[in-house]
Amino acid sequence: MSRIFRESFLYISVVAVFAAGCLAAPGFLKPDNQSAVLRQVSQNGILAVGMTLVIITAGIDLSVGRMLGLASTLAAMLLVEKRWTAATYFTVPAAAVSAGILAALLAGAVGRSRLGLRTRTMQFAAFLAAAAAVGLWAVPQARTGFSILSVLVLVPLSGFLLGGVSGVLVSKCRLQPFIVTLAMMTSAYGAARLIAASSGSGYIHSLYDSQGNVPPGVDSLRVIDAAQLAGCLPSWTPRFLSRSLAEGTLRSILENLPVPGLFFLLCLGAGMFILNRLRFGRYLYAIGGNEETARLSGINVDGVKTAVYAISGMLSFLAGVLACAQYRQGKPDMGAMAELDAIAAVVIGGTSLMGGRGRMMGTLVGVLIFGYLTNILSLRGVSTDVQLFITGIIIVAAVLLQEGYIQRLTSRLRFYQRGK
Amino acid sequence: MPASRITLQQLLQTLVVLFAGLFFVTACAEKPAPQKSGDKTTDTAKKQYVIGFSQCTTTEPWRALFNRLLEAEAAKMPDVKLVVLDAQDRTEKQVADMESFITRKMDAILISPKEAPGLTEVVERATKAGIPVIVLDRDVNTKNYACWIGGDNLEIGREAGRYAVEALGGPGKAQGVIYEIWGGMASPPAQDRHNGFHEIVGKEKGIKVEGNQDGDWKQEKGYNIMETALKTLPKIDLVYAHNDPMAFGAYLAAKDAKREKDIKFVGIDAIPEEGCMWVKNGQLAATFVYPPPGVEGLHAALKILKGEKVPPRISLPTRRITSANVDEYLASLKK
Repeated sequence: MSRIFRESFLYISVVAVFAAGCLAAPGFLKPDNQSAVLRQVSQNGILAVGMTLVIITAGIDLSVGRMLGLASTLAAMLLVEKRWTAATYFTVPAAAVSAGILAALLAGAVGRSRLGLRTRTMQFAAFLAAAAAVGLWAVPQARTGFSILSVLVLVPLSGFLLGGVSGVLVSKCRLQPFIVTLAMMTSAYGAARLIAASSGSGYIHSLYDSQGNVPPGVDSLRVIDAAQLAGCLPSWTPRFLSRSLAEGTLRSILENLPVPGLFFLLCLGAGMFILNRLRFGRYLYAIGGNEETARLSGINVDGVKTAVYAISGMLSFLAGVLACAQYRQGKPDMGAMAELDAIAAVVIGGTSLMGGRGRMMGTLVGVLIFGYLTNILSLRGVSTDVQLFITGIIIVAAVLLQEGYIQRLTSRLRFYQRGK
Repeated sequence: MPASRITLQQLLQTLVVLFAGLFFVTACAEKPAPQKSGDKTTDTAKKQYVIGFSQCTTTEPWRALFNRLLEAEAAKMPDVKLVVLDAQDRTEKQVADMESFITRKMDAILISPKEAPGLTEVVERATKAGIPVIVLDRDVNTKNYACWIGGDNLEIGREAGRYAVEALGGPGKAQGVIYEIWGGMASPPAQDRHNGFHEIVGKEKGIKVEGNQDGDWKQEKGYNIMETALKTLPKIDLVYAHNDPMAFGAYLAAKDAKREKDIKFVGIDAIPEEGCMWVKNGQLAATFVYPPPGVEGLHAALKILKGEKVPPRISLPTRRITSANVDEYLASLKK
């Protein structure tokens, strides 16, 4: 009963915040405001998806904010510099190794279930092939400047490797996740500063050139260019569709859709799929609930935990690339303190920091409550000092309601009244 | 216990909590702004302008002064309502603040950006939405805004150079050793303050400028740099620091070495509770105003709203503050 209440509380609260926005904030319901909110929450949202997976295994990832800053620095340097820089030396090998590891894992899974082959050899071959493929694809681009698509692939891949390093330290070396990711957070910031400063033009890498232009394609990670899309349509598309895309309603809808928001929804969907449909997702709950039992029941606990941190690293690097495209710059201190917002959103969404309990839908609600609250307060012109204060109160109130504390309190009061 | 009754009760509790929160939010927020003030049907005589100001951070003293002067000026104008949002030194937050101004259809927006590239796109968007944007202090990578207003660090450096030459004996016959303490070596304001200073001082044959240490704008670093300099240089006549706290740190180091009487200390920024106070106490010989552009920004916004022309770039003059005029300058800020 109280579980049902907890679940419905999530939806009630986000609806209530939405209603409060409609009533109290001018211009809240306008499509461009809603699209701005979706874009504003997307960064925190993408980080929170990875954080949910980590927290369900009773871990924590403090490094996501600084990893985002590192990724934004890498992305900006890869896009702008047309030579081998520290960013290239870091990203290309790391991405190649990650791709190799992913391919080897895939080969192992397929080989075992379908073909019954000697998997070691196959895995090794797959590793070499994938790493070589990424290397061959990326290295020639270093001199000409990377396209936005290759940055979008290479940078998150290298984040996968960095997150995996945290994961190995947590699982194989049995270190506390708090300490490991704290160290990763500091080192990632240091690495970002080193890499950013290595080109000798300060820490902030702007995507603008001297004429005020940004590299081609960067804007495609910000907004959808409907007119360009209309130009790419094949000739057999119905007339009304192409016209609507070129100048009609479809165009205004598409141009109001923030691309980072779409990435967030995509990541959220993938996270839900992992948690609800995959065996891997069930393992996360099992490990978070009781790691020793999970180990005894034959789950590859170390592997699963490493994978979770690697996914979180990959998502924070993805968020970094999107932030670079959105703000047209990369710098080490982008995303500072973002890890705390992500953890807060996850916890508001009902995921327990003790592990073993939590859902992706809750995280969506937590992220939205955060985003709407800031939006409403800003629209009403509430000063930042008050905003921060209220945000703290809301976090505590939400968690108190989550844990059923207020219900217990009132039922105890009722008990005393009855006693009288 | 019937389950449905409990659930209803709990639901009510939630609603009460949420509405209490909503009430709190509403109560502590501004009075309902005259959102409809843009309606052409209402009389224009009583029109109130709602102007948004996005400040990148308010924890630095110079920015706190900037806000204080701007808010005081806005309070004097009955037809202006100023909404200030502080981005807490985060680009993401400042972009979101700007977006909320655009959604609210502010009559004009003042912005003091955290840095150029991150805020360029949203400034362009505000301009595209038909809102005049006035960029204060740091510039952005576009010309799609109404006006830029800020201080001129090169000119401030030159003015500091002129003061140093006068203090060391006047043009043509100035003699002495100047020790320079840098702000951030990679930061454009520090480079401008350095270049402007050298443009003037470099013409004097008798002046020797020492020092290439980065004090990161901080008082304690100014102290440490000066401590070392005092050990290596037997004679220093004047210390030129790129801001007042570093100059004051250098003064403290010299005082601890009992050499503060032989040296003149010159800083920049002239914030009332820092540079001005130190000049008043005789610890710094001079400081130069890096003018907070808020008040001029507000005036420019009103001019634009009333249909007058405003130049695309306004750079504000500096002012030399010494013990002779510090009281008068402080009084002029109070009024």
